[in-house]
Amino acid sequence: MTNLDQFESVFKSADRQPFSEEPINLEKILVVTDGDATQAEELNYQLRQFFGGLENVIQPSYSSLMGDQFSNVKQLLEQIEQVQPDLICTVRNLHDPIPELPYSLGAYVDVMTQVISCPVLLLPRNDQWSKTNEVMAITDHLSGDNHLVSYAAALTSPGGTLVLAHVEDEQAFTRYISTIGKIPTIDTAIAEEVIRDQLLKEPADYILSCQQALDQRPGHSIEVESVITLGHLLEDYKRLINRHEIDLLVLNTKDEDQLAMHGLAYPLAIELRDVPLLLL
Amino acid sequence: MFLIASQATVSMSVKILFACLLVALIVCLALEEKLHAKKSVIAGLFAVVCLFLGSVFQILPFAPVVVGSQPAAESAAPEVNESHAGGQHEGGHQISMPVYIPAINWGVIAIILGSSLFVDVTSKSGLFTWIAIRVTKASRGDPLLLLYFYGTMTVVFSAVLNNVTAMIIVGSLTVVSLDKLNLRDKLLGFLLIEGLLTNIGGLLTLISSVPNIIVGTAAQISFMEFFLKASPYVVLATIVTLILGARLFGIRRIRDAEQKAKALEQVEGFDETDGIESWGFFWFSAVMLGLFIITIATTSVLPFISDLEMGFVALSFSAVMLIRYKAEADQFYKAIDWDLIAFFMSLFVVIYVMEYAQVLSEIGNGLQLVLSDITAANASAADTSMLLIGSAGFSSVTDNIPLAAMLANILNSLGTPHESGLWWSVIFGANLGGNLTPIGSASTLVAVTIMHKHRVPMSFGGFVKIAIPYAVVQIGLALVYVLLFLR
Repeated sequence: MTNLDQFESVFKSADRQPFSEEPINLEKILVVTDGDATQAEELNYQLRQFFGGLENVIQPSYSSLMGDQFSNVKQLLEQIEQVQPDLICTVRNLHDPIPELPYSLGAYVDVMTQVISCPVLLLPRNDQWSKTNEVMAITDHLSGDNHLVSYAAALTSPGGTLVLAHVEDEQAFTRYISTIGKIPTIDTAIAEEVIRDQLLKEPADYILSCQQALDQRPGHSIEVESVITLGHLLEDYKRLINRHEIDLLVLNTKDEDQLAMHGLAYPLAIELRDVPLLLL
Repeated sequence: MFLIASQATVSMSVKILFACLLVALIVCLALEEKLHAKKSVIAGLFAVVCLFLGSVFQILPFAPVVVGSQPAAESAAPEVNESHAGGQHEGGHQISMPVYIPAINWGVIAIILGSSLFVDVTSKSGLFTWIAIRVTKASRGDPLLLLYFYGTMTVVFSAVLNNVTAMIIVGSLTVVSLDKLNLRDKLLGFLLIEGLLTNIGGLLTLISSVPNIIVGTAAQISFMEFFLKASPYVVLATIVTLILGARLFGIRRIRDAEQKAKALEQVEGFDETDGIESWGFFWFSAVMLGLFIITIATTSVLPFISDLEMGFVALSFSAVMLIRYKAEADQFYKAIDWDLIAFFMSLFVVIYVMEYAQVLSEIGNGLQLVLSDITAANASAADTSMLLIGSAGFSSVTDNIPLAAMLANILNSLGTPHESGLWWSVIFGANLGGNLTPIGSASTLVAVTIMHKHRVPMSFGGFVKIAIPYAVVQIGLALVYVLLFLR
């Protein structure tokens, strides 16, 4: 093993990205609704219930923005700018003429997830959300995403379970292996085995470091569960969310190029209409 | 390999023809990069041509070889080939073998082959990466400590493994750790210092570099004698190189507490156990490495083993290590540097032919004209200095192995005593000359290759300009050391 690249690979593999918890600030929560003051009050009450288990961790102040306080996206953004919230809580298809439109989040929510820097908690238009005992964090590249895991951990009720899920795209993997299969200088069977192992090892190592770091936190004990698999991104995440009866799903939405909502997040946000989503 | 050539007369024109071939080989090896040809191909072609011309001019011995004979009790004659048939040896039997087979020094080939296989299999245990990462963590991410620790590790690895493997291990770790510590601007300094230190570490033991093996074997220097005589210089030269490197490249300690904590956190992210597949094999490898060093060091005094020599030890240890990978041993055979092995074999053949063409004896005669007394036990200061500086200059522009093989052969055949400082002049000169240019040694070439791979610009002239102060200091120190302590 006297090859330069081989040794560089060994050292790169040994270079871990251990989890380092980021401080999460949730002092100011802005509730944006398309209803009147009564509906806003109801939503505020529900949110207090929702975050009730976290009283020892966060004690936010709530303010509301009601439906008659903005009539277009520009006004909404201006109002949000004035409040400078740490978290915006809103509902799907905000101010949409057809609130149950199944293939969209609505123009207001689309803009909020892309333009505003603070996280958006997107709530279902039903009453079936009241706790954060089972929280799941997902992304298409979990390793090193301290921001995502820190938010998810902060919003998991003490004694609850944080599920850190990583589904590696099997379709893309199969495509690359089929290309490798056409290259005579690379042994396809070995390549398939070692690439799969390495792809799954990285999130496994990272999740292990998350477990170790979160176990050492004083006063906020949560159980960290790891799910790492090779599969179909959307189908497998949906299956995992249903299986674990997830109370809150945490996912990244900001795309580096800011062209649209992050590739995996948008279809999940569209499809999972009954689960509260924290869009970072 | 150190045979005394046939006393048959060789015409001056034939000698000149073969001398031209020798010069052409050296020039081609110096231009290896420009020719885009591997060393083995260059030396192999010259070996083919030399053998063919040797046959044409009838200068090579094609008689059967006698093996297993004992020198006759009453005979004190030298072990010349002709003596086998002439009755000066007793017993044995004649066998026919191609003329190029006895030309090759199989002892040297066995050491190189056995050592590289042993190192390759041991690497697989994760032992060297474990050591390298532990050293990185011990530095706490401090740039100056990292330079000192990596420099020392380079010297130790070069001494125990070989220069190229040492440079590959430490160089690749340097790239990864400096990237992690956001010290990419220091990469040039680190790689250059490490490249230069491989040739210092290559001076530590008899098996640390090929010139050491060739010259040390010819001079009958034992492993322990070599180590005891060379190690004070290696320690001194390493310290001087590291201090000079830190000053010239502005590598300093971190003073700020916050930065210190951040650097520590970054290096703690390395997991030294990552490359370890089996702890059992890891510890077995560590024990075997220790035993290997001890056995090699004591080969000359071990009963039974001393007759089998170091090549046997190296091959035996590699065979034991391969048991762990018995079903996939072929993967390790593929990883052997066959270019290097074929190069040595071809080079030995060329030198063997040169010996019979009496080119080496002519060079020896020339050396005797330049040097005042080659056979003196205490070589003169002028001879020692001239040979050391000349060897260094020659090694800086072409491969140091032909030089070592040629000079070892010449000094041996001219009867240079084993305690003479001239052997050490060749050893120090051949090793340290590699630090003058990027093509002077394989390990500095690896250092430059790593620089280019990571987009650190480094030209031939640029390397010489940066490396020359270090090389001059190292050669100067070596000169003083050999003159004061080894002459």
